[in-house]
Amino acid sequence: MSARVFGVEVLDELRGIMREPTALFFSVVMPVGFFALFVSIFGQQSAGGVSGGTRMLATFGTFGVLSVTLMNPGIGVADDRERGWLRAKQVSAVPLGVTLAAKVAAALPYAVGVLLAMTVAAAATGSLDASLATLLRLGAVLMIGSLPFALLGMAIGFQAGANASAAILNAILMPSAIASGLWMPLEIMPDVIGRIAPFLPTYHLARLGLAQVNGGGVLEHVLVLLATTAVVAAIAAVSYRHARA
Amino acid sequence: MSTVLEVQGARHRYGATVALDGVDLAVEAGECVALLGPNGAGKTTLVNLAVGLLPVHEGRVRVAGGDPRIAATRRHLGVMQQSTGFPRTLKVGELVAGAAVRAGMRRSAAGQVMAEVGLTDLASRRAGKLSGGQRQRVALAMALVGDPALLILDEPTGGLDVSARRVFWQTLAQRRERGAGVLLTTHLIEESAAVAERVVVLHEGRVLAADRPDALVARLPERTVIARTNLDAQRLRALPGVVSVDTGSELVRLGTRSPEALLRVLLAEDPDLSDLRVEGARLEEAVMSLTDTATMEVTA
Repeated sequence: MSARVFGVEVLDELRGIMREPTALFFSVVMPVGFFALFVSIFGQQSAGGVSGGTRMLATFGTFGVLSVTLMNPGIGVADDRERGWLRAKQVSAVPLGVTLAAKVAAALPYAVGVLLAMTVAAAATGSLDASLATLLRLGAVLMIGSLPFALLGMAIGFQAGANASAAILNAILMPSAIASGLWMPLEIMPDVIGRIAPFLPTYHLARLGLAQVNGGGVLEHVLVLLATTAVVAAIAAVSYRHARA
Repeated sequence: MSTVLEVQGARHRYGATVALDGVDLAVEAGECVALLGPNGAGKTTLVNLAVGLLPVHEGRVRVAGGDPRIAATRRHLGVMQQSTGFPRTLKVGELVAGAAVRAGMRRSAAGQVMAEVGLTDLASRRAGKLSGGQRQRVALAMALVGDPALLILDEPTGGLDVSARRVFWQTLAQRRERGAGVLLTTHLIEESAAVAERVVVLHEGRVLAADRPDALVARLPERTVIARTNLDAQRLRALPGVVSVDTGSELVRLGTRSPEALLRVLLAEDPDLSDLRVEGARLEEAVMSLTDTATMEVTA
């Protein structure tokens, strides 16, 4: 039964997104637009034997994936809760975890779309020098690594309204993106930002992505993201229980 | 007859506030029980326990023999909330089919239920374009589609016009004939008197009374004298045996325990008295009398 129900839940989520595509402007069009602009300017500058476009695909790609997986499930949960739709799901015979997992799963195709559009933009500017296997690995790492951020989005969605959730999540994502070097390399940022960055999970996800295209250690970043997942999952569970009561 | 909802000694607290204080309640298969009481009586908390949204701090709650906190038990439950806002982009047919799958049924079950509640023509309409009454019908279809043993209906007829209300109660009667039990909460007390076999009156987290509607009304010795009169409210209040005066409409309603004596005085005082009739108390008055008495006892 669960697979069938999961399928229905994902389908409903996808229908909702497809029928109101304007909601995707900030989470899809904006990151891709920014990437296209930056990659056309800095994409040819290579570092460590890897083109700027390829490196930016990892860092901007992190931002692009997060703008979908952090925002969409979180705002979706808040919207459902405000409408009373979440309550309708809670009293149904489906464990709520299935509904929430469907929200995350439904966000993934759009995250893939963002990465694909960025890849096309990088290739179009002649600044992409990664193999298909590398690109697939990068995509998979960013998708899996975005799980704690999806949980964080839902933790906020359980507490705040849809508009407030959008504002809060943007207030988290934008500064984190800047301070983690997702838009511009940390090397050209003030030193203080470089010192803050290692404390941010977004930084570690981007580094994990970069490691796929230019090599480098991954253990530290994986451990930080695992710890983040555990902490955020606990926060999301408390937040859900609070909302349920 | 099997018990589809069983609540035994249920207690629930919100911090230091006791919302339910040892409530017992049972709904049998095919039975309709109306849950009545003033705001803050504990109705919502009791419903939330029954649908598994809240844990019972003491006592026991069972739906079709199972714990409603467990998702599988809620297959036996159909819930119609006071106001459900559906995702505006989903179509009626998709909503009801989704509810069917969540309840472990085939998607095709949705078509049958939509026909039953008169939604077939609206199947491809998006939820965002439905009227209040249409949304209530969708909510009913979603509650019914799993063929539940217990239906919990929270203010189910708000927003329905007279004819939709008739269809609603007819549909429910058919389900009850097939064995579904119903727990109904409503502010339309006279409506509950018409459809419920039993009425449970809650007050400050306790059951004040649980009986047939007519038996509850019979407990109240008050009668209502209704008439069109020229006497003003002050004069009416001063008449012998009058315990309440309602001048809210063209006809005045006078509550009394000795209608014969009151009628004699009224006829003597107002030669133009017309449209005169005497009615027994209504369920609403019986419920108010019960809760007022309980409040006065607590205050004393």
